[in-house]
Amino acid sequence: MTELLSTKGISRRFGGIQAVQDCNISVQAGSITGLIGPNGSGKTTLFNLITGVYNPDNGQATFQGKQITGLSPSQICHEGLSRTFQITRLFWEMTVLENMIVPIRQVGLRSLLGPNMFKEEIDRAMVLLERVGLTHLKDELAGKLSFGQQKLLEFAAILMAKPTMVMLDEPAGGVNPTMIRFIMQLILELNQDNVTFLVVEHNMGVVMELCTHVIVMDQGTKLAEGAPEEIQANPAVLEAYLGN
Amino acid sequence: MDNLRRWWKPTALLILLAYPWIFRAPYYHVLGFNVMLFATMATSWNIMGGYTGYKSLGHSAFYGLGAYFVAIAANQLGWNPLVSAPFLALIVALVAVILGWIMLRTSGSAFVISTIAMLLIFRLTALNLREITKGAPGLSQPLPPWTPEFSRMPFYYYMVVWLIIALFVSWYIRRSRFGLGLVAIRDDEGKAEMVGVNTTLYKILAFGVSAYFVALCGGVWSYFTSHISPVFAFDIIVGVDMILMTMLGGLGTLWGPVLGAFILIPTSDLILFTFGSSTIYLAIIGVLMMVVIIFLPKGILPTIQQWIQDRRAPRAAHQGALSMAEMHGLTDDSPSVEEEIRHD
Repeated sequence: MTELLSTKGISRRFGGIQAVQDCNISVQAGSITGLIGPNGSGKTTLFNLITGVYNPDNGQATFQGKQITGLSPSQICHEGLSRTFQITRLFWEMTVLENMIVPIRQVGLRSLLGPNMFKEEIDRAMVLLERVGLTHLKDELAGKLSFGQQKLLEFAAILMAKPTMVMLDEPAGGVNPTMIRFIMQLILELNQDNVTFLVVEHNMGVVMELCTHVIVMDQGTKLAEGAPEEIQANPAVLEAYLGN
Repeated sequence: MDNLRRWWKPTALLILLAYPWIFRAPYYHVLGFNVMLFATMATSWNIMGGYTGYKSLGHSAFYGLGAYFVAIAANQLGWNPLVSAPFLALIVALVAVILGWIMLRTSGSAFVISTIAMLLIFRLTALNLREITKGAPGLSQPLPPWTPEFSRMPFYYYMVVWLIIALFVSWYIRRSRFGLGLVAIRDDEGKAEMVGVNTTLYKILAFGVSAYFVALCGGVWSYFTSHISPVFAFDIIVGVDMILMTMLGGLGTLWGPVLGAFILIPTSDLILFTFGSSTIYLAIIGVLMMVVIIFLPKGILPTIQQWIQDRRAPRAAHQGALSMAEMHGLTDDSPSVEEEIRHD
């Protein structure tokens, strides 16, 4: 297996809080890597540092052998790295279909000045909507969907950009068990199609079942990593979660 | 309904073309010109303020720049203003792109304040750059060559054409991928950037386009009044009017800004004639605007649209959505609190 994404010594301080400290992680191509850790351990900040929302104070992130630190979030997205948000973010005043179209890579005059949707793009969007069961809602405003549907739409929409790797921030957060099953199934299927995943998740059942490799963060840095079973048995991890 | 949809545009155009021949008094030609001028500017402002959600209060800076560029070119180079305005407005749009590159690093109220600052800087510059602008007394330029009885009519028709062009550009942008990106920025800029929209480029381009037609209008206006001074060319009220018209008609809609101009300009003239004093006119317009904001917060067109939709299919769409979701076994037990908050 080859390394797809890595961070080297990445750090970021907010005022008096060292959110991420000298963090080195590595994600193998084709894997579903879990990223776990107690609340406030820096997982979401690490996401934001990798995807260009924040610039790190030190260190850098490399994706597909290319340094992505310093690029804008849209450029990083164009490199093939997409993400979802812990609190679902959609274009609420747009229809479901429009939400699917926005993430399509937009370069060149044709895509800038052409009609906002091309036939082949609509077809591709409909296939993905079918997959998440939202076809019938394509003309509904995204703001009118239920919470679970919004989560599915956010996930489906980033797939329109044909990402090599997807970073999910709590895909199972706040949704019912049926939906969790559905989302896990989706992740596994996409992984079969060669999409690599980095998943932040608090639901340990999901992490243990889904992930091939788990990284544990605590206090802004990597505490441990390994196969799910090793992590479960690691005393340092238990201590970080439960205290001593 | 379908007939209405098909025929209203040609009919409206015919009325616009016939208008100066039906209402022949010079006043009506001035009124018609002002309506066209402000409808064009509001349409232009709407591309930035409505589609993209960046509300500039300083767009009269571009109005003033256009006015001065055209007047100076007419005086010193002998360029015909109606010919030079569309080209000189391109230079102003370029200035807007450069300024936008700096100013659009801010957002929200900081952006609004930066646009006001921009306006004041240009106003001060125009006041003090006396060799070129003649300072506070202002610049005069040659009167139009045509006979007095037609004096306002060419201006009117000229602006009818530019209103149509501005509307076409606005429509074209809205249905393009570029326009979809702009609306995405308005909705959630961080998310738009995250899914690959080059938000900086999009915002700067939109700012340039929305400055273009305003600059052009300023140029035409300077020829129309034949005398311009910094206080009137860089007048914040002009920029405020564009915003009020757009909000009245419907922010972010294609026809809203036009409708707003068609209502607001004649109304303010009417009030002006009825009460005489120009200060009371501002006060009454202010009260009217408050009424609009309270009772029609989305503007006239979106409110009517919503009203028609509600009458046609009350809750049908929502019910359909629920039952289909149930079939997929994907419903949540109850709408979550977060959802409620988000809709606020």
